[in-house]
Amino acid sequence: MSEQLRESLSALMDDEASELELQRLLKQLGNDAELRATWVRYNNARAVMSGQEISHPQVDISARVRQAIDGTPAESPSLRERLFRPLASFAVAASVAATVVIGGQQLAQLSGDEAFSNGTVAAGGVSPVGMVNSLGATTVQASYGTQSVPTLQPAARTAYGELARQRMEMYMQEHAEHAALNSPHGLIPFARVTEIRE
Amino acid sequence: MIRYRNRAGALRRIAAVIAVAFAPAVTAAAQCPEADAEAMQWLDKMSRSVHQVSYHGVVTYQRDGQDMQVMQVSHSVRDGSSSEQLTQLTGQGAQVVRVDHPLDCVHPGHKLLRLGEPAQGDYCGLARHYRFRVTDGDRVAGRKAVRVLITPRDMYRFGYIMDLDRKTGLLLKTTTVGRGNQVLEKFQFAELSFNKPVPDSVDINLVHQAQHPVPSASAQPATLSLAWQVGWLPQGFMATDSQPANAGRKTFTDGLAVFSVFVEELDREIRPGEGMFREGSTTSYSRGLSLEGAPLLITVVGEVPVNTARMVADSVDRVR
Repeated sequence: MSEQLRESLSALMDDEASELELQRLLKQLGNDAELRATWVRYNNARAVMSGQEISHPQVDISARVRQAIDGTPAESPSLRERLFRPLASFAVAASVAATVVIGGQQLAQLSGDEAFSNGTVAAGGVSPVGMVNSLGATTVQASYGTQSVPTLQPAARTAYGELARQRMEMYMQEHAEHAALNSPHGLIPFARVTEIRE
Repeated sequence: MIRYRNRAGALRRIAAVIAVAFAPAVTAAAQCPEADAEAMQWLDKMSRSVHQVSYHGVVTYQRDGQDMQVMQVSHSVRDGSSSEQLTQLTGQGAQVVRVDHPLDCVHPGHKLLRLGEPAQGDYCGLARHYRFRVTDGDRVAGRKAVRVLITPRDMYRFGYIMDLDRKTGLLLKTTTVGRGNQVLEKFQFAELSFNKPVPDSVDINLVHQAQHPVPSASAQPATLSLAWQVGWLPQGFMATDSQPANAGRKTFTDGLAVFSVFVEELDREIRPGEGMFREGSTTSYSRGLSLEGAPLLITVVGEVPVNTARMVADSVDRVR
């Protein structure tokens, strides 16, 4: 994985990615099982760093990630693939565990209380990129990088971005109905609806 | 004797390490005393004020580089129920009304803000997921405010700066803050008066009756053939209403942020992929995929970072 991609993943998690970067990354995530697994690991690492338990083992190796890792094209998996599959899954699990251990050690340094300073999560200059990098990510990469993935047409990127925009328009009012009852703002969430329907 | 004591100490230390590693609930409980009691009391008061105070006023709403929206908001409490109304003074000219909302009807989002009403059996409540600090607030709509700074403890939610009316606890101004102190959205009262009749001189083009999904009963009929669930939620989020497993929408809140997950069954294969769109603090994230052969479009809409939306969408799975 390129350094640029790692940086983009980090930016995605920090909510600091530019629109363009996000669209590019999402397109790649949709296509790349390894990248998706890395993203799950980063999330776990961060969760631990911010003092959260890993409460979602089903996501660590979620059905889809596992499918992406384990799953091979239905037509005749080669001997090599059949031999490698369990190993690949194990490698992912192992690297998650390793990440968690390091994350726990960092925890003590990360309990600063600064309102809106930049460092709630990534304080202490600990880069999750560096952490994962030093923990056998390359092994994982080597063992399941052979996944065949459907090719995305160049147009699909903008198509999905447009789909997300349309869905926001379509669903915003229904979402606002619930936000109005379950956040402290009363009816004000309806101000987010582009066009209120009867 | 000394030797024995040392050994016991060592055992205790080991036990502590094990407890920290394997019982996150214990760590959370240990964090609880850090919760700012004053802030929690203000949030409690803010949540209850909605059921106690009659007011009307003018609210402005700003996000991104868009024009400021201006709306009239009114709220009245009478005979055990409240009525509220929002009228747009700019833009579309729509009005949203909710009448006869029983005062004893407290939705999960408000339960999470209140002391002594543990929504999830968790007495630490919001303090587990946000840090709070109370300072002096600016003057908002001519009222003296107290300011509550709310910083997320993890990366799955935004921060808020809330200015509350010192007298009533009413929320006067909210600034939603993303990473790097970026202001995503701002609501603010420009004018506010208590216990006065609502002036009616506004041209209204459309009236929408706000829905009232009851937490305990599911109002929405089952719409999908697929039974699904989200396998992961950021900690502290809970469902706002109970929905059948094959509902088209499920909504979750942590008391401050709300997001909804929508699932659509498609009638043909979709090219797998994902995309997002953001406006102010609202993220819309769509993912097209095939779940055991069934082509689906999963969309998360809500006031959370895109990474959170993605995590939630990624965890959607079939219920067996």
